[in-house]
Amino acid sequence: MFGLDYSWLSDPVYQGWLLRGTLNTIALALTSSAIAVLIGGFGALALTLRIAWLDALIELFVELFRNTPPLLQMLFFYFTLSTIGLRVTDPATGLSVPLLSAFDCALVSLSLFGGALCIEAFRSGLDSLPRAVTEAARSLGYSRWARFRRIEVPIASRICLPALTNILTNLFKTTSQASVITVPELVYYAGQIYNDTFRTAEVMILVLLIYVTLVSLLSWGLSRIERALAFPGYGKGN
Amino acid sequence: MRTSILTIAAALAVTFGIGAASADTLADAKSKGTLTIGVKNDYPPYGFLNDKGEIVGFEVELGKYVAKELLGPEGKVELVPVVAANRIEFLNSGRIDIIFATLGVTADRAKVIDFSEYYVSAPGPSVIASKAATFSKWEELKGLTLCGIQGSYYNKHLTEDLGIQLTAFKTQPEAYRALKDNRCVGFVFDDMTLRKKTEEAEWADYKIAVDPYEYIPQAAGIRKGDDAFREAVNKAITKAEAEGKLVEWETTYGMPHSAYIAERAKAAAAKLKP
Repeated sequence: MFGLDYSWLSDPVYQGWLLRGTLNTIALALTSSAIAVLIGGFGALALTLRIAWLDALIELFVELFRNTPPLLQMLFFYFTLSTIGLRVTDPATGLSVPLLSAFDCALVSLSLFGGALCIEAFRSGLDSLPRAVTEAARSLGYSRWARFRRIEVPIASRICLPALTNILTNLFKTTSQASVITVPELVYYAGQIYNDTFRTAEVMILVLLIYVTLVSLLSWGLSRIERALAFPGYGKGN
Repeated sequence: MRTSILTIAAALAVTFGIGAASADTLADAKSKGTLTIGVKNDYPPYGFLNDKGEIVGFEVELGKYVAKELLGPEGKVELVPVVAANRIEFLNSGRIDIIFATLGVTADRAKVIDFSEYYVSAPGPSVIASKAATFSKWEELKGLTLCGIQGSYYNKHLTEDLGIQLTAFKTQPEAYRALKDNRCVGFVFDDMTLRKKTEEAEWADYKIAVDPYEYIPQAAGIRKGDDAFREAVNKAITKAEAEGKLVEWETTYGMPHSAYIAERAKAAAAKLKP
């Protein structure tokens, strides 16, 4: 009889691996999410300045990072940057080693990928502001910057929170691709565990549960934020 | 802790009610006229792609020989490329009938599949490193970063018992690339493959720095309880050994002649003498 056999879970080595993998997944997801939101904020802000060359630059960045698979980006950063000279001398061995570790490469790639998506989301949020609102602000004598800070951002941020939730939950799941460039996250260790124990189904089910739990927590947290920020007309609960 | 987990596992087993299908691969293969074999296609000399893009190799020959023995000269062979990480899954899910893919015999694997007669004694992993490397023993690798392959059976031993920092890749080319990039001080992998690598011109500056710590028998993988099939496969393997086929294939694929295979050939010939 082949029942589901979870006896391997009593092995402290596997427990340690799962824990380490989970922590690395969380670290990678949260750090890249934070950087992505920052990139999105600054990018969207820069777009409101209406400077032609800057717009073109941001456009190029978005097209480049939004339209390429994150997996390829990671492989590019991991294998190509060191070849074209991003290297340092390791003081311990005296060898010339790549500057960016696997984790760094995954972080850079996920941050830029998420950042490109965030720029688009924030821009669409700003674009969807009713003209009447901005005109009213202008007629009340708000300066360009004050209008952006006190009127446009507060409203636009509430408009694009659902889109942001989508982006960040997807980014969380995309971290699993980092196992390809040897980042020891959840999928990396899961693979090693089921290769040792041959309990593929059991390991997969457990790892899926861990992902579901973590991503549900993330989207729950974001929906709480959405609710807390809601005001009449915008956001949840109107 | 253990008991509670076993209880949960038992409860889950009851809930899902998963039962093993009884296997009769021999009858199935005969009725189809085809034997589906899981082989390596990136693992010289056992299974690899030749210049024409065909899968050839020591174990591919053996697999084809066994298929002909089981199904007669008309029997067809379907070669399915597998990797270490999926070969047992492929076998147990029925995508292949038998594994001839550098499968080392281990106690853990014996819990989920059956093995044929052992036909090769394969060295375990060794370490390739720059000629400048000063380490030569496994104990000296503690705390050092080695490149490896995800899913290798010895990974746990390397990290947990020997204290090696392992950077494991999905496939070999990535690991070789990372070694040249100095992302690790050595690459731990199958000994024979690495020795072949050191003969290549672009790897002239590299050496086998650490020799294997063990030798493991290699066998074909068969579904659990598939006894009629296993008997037939064993008979075919013994026949091939007795005919000196395995020694022949060693020559064909440029392998060093191993005492183990010569011994087995002698024993098989003696066994099959009327």
